[in-house]
Amino acid sequence: MTRKGILLIMREKRTFMIFTLIYTILIFLTSLFLDFAFDQGFSSIAGYLVAIFFLTSLILSLLYAWILVSRKRRNWATLKCIGYTNKNIISLVSGIILFTTLFGLFIVLEILFHYTAIFTYLESANIQTGLPGILIGLLPVVATAFIFIFVQLISIALIYRKVLKVRPIVALKRVGE
Amino acid sequence: MPLARDTMIEAIDVNKEYRRAGAIIRALADVNLTIKSGEFVIIQGPTGCGKSTLLNVLSGLDYPDSGKIIFDGENIARSTEDRLARLRRMKIGFIFQDFNLINTLTALENVESVLWPTVLRSSEIENRAIAALRDANLLERKDHYPVQMSGGEKQKCGLARAIIHRPRVILADEPTGNLDPQSEKEVMDLLKKINKDSETTVIVVTHRAKLSSYGDKAVHMKNGEIESVK
Repeated sequence: MTRKGILLIMREKRTFMIFTLIYTILIFLTSLFLDFAFDQGFSSIAGYLVAIFFLTSLILSLLYAWILVSRKRRNWATLKCIGYTNKNIISLVSGIILFTTLFGLFIVLEILFHYTAIFTYLESANIQTGLPGILIGLLPVVATAFIFIFVQLISIALIYRKVLKVRPIVALKRVGE
Repeated sequence: MPLARDTMIEAIDVNKEYRRAGAIIRALADVNLTIKSGEFVIIQGPTGCGKSTLLNVLSGLDYPDSGKIIFDGENIARSTEDRLARLRRMKIGFIFQDFNLINTLTALENVESVLWPTVLRSSEIENRAIAALRDANLLERKDHYPVQMSGGEKQKCGLARAIIHRPRVILADEPTGNLDPQSEKEVMDLLKKINKDSETTVIVVTHRAKLSSYGDKAVHMKNGEIESVK
């Protein structure tokens, strides 16, 4: 079912691209400031910024889940009519949310990998950039990934009540009724 | 001599009321109805007579206030939502007036979607969906999205979705309400063919009197009551 959620969101190109972009920026900034916080301590500005990004990601995840359930209410109601249980629906929604997050994480890893590759190339060509060889360490990225997946799981749990409230009978109402 | 048919659905003393703008509307009043296995039943009546409410309670989409709904030997009037969902997945096929196809899925994927929550393999699901689309005369449009299909084709896709899991009952709520006369005939002929070929019970709710000729039984409703059964 989770795989089918991926199929559904890949067809919703605009929503997928917007949220993937936002997640990518958030994951990048959280990783970056988490890296700073590891060096400077969590009571520094970097630590506060990490907390802000954490809260932002929670709000964003809730918003994303809410949009997915509310905007597609008739689709979910139809699926309930044809025999989907609430668990089936939440599996689809989970697939969509987790895939978007993991895709954002994948983009961040790609950016960091290419940054290091370009830096290494410039170093080998004796071109001095004054930039660090590794932009963000592996530990902050892994920690950020865990934080974001945890946040997604919270939003999925919170949105479950909204899925329960979608009544299959909604699907039988005429469009515009 | 024809074989005696089993009872597929039985409504016993079913009542249902709605509250709307402070007023109580009696949608179903002591409704008693027996539908045999393999029957083609047309439920007719004017707007607001309770025919859609009857369809909803017969299929477990809505709960009656009182009375029993015996579906294939099981009283579903007080079943849990998940139990009803599983019953619909295994035994009921739905056809909607507005088609209710998922716009981002192709015709084939829309039909397959019924079986996604099952343990069947993807190849088996695809084979069944292709067979269902063939039965609905829509195989050549399997890779088209709903926006690329006409109303009649969308309803055929809806019909294929309703039969992919080989249900015991097909419930259709105004299935030809948004179709032109030619498409209406095609869809109703297909429903009749499915009813005859696979002994599937078909229940069609409609306000169009001319469709009663398709049914083995025509149920006329008025003010929440069954006025006549012919």
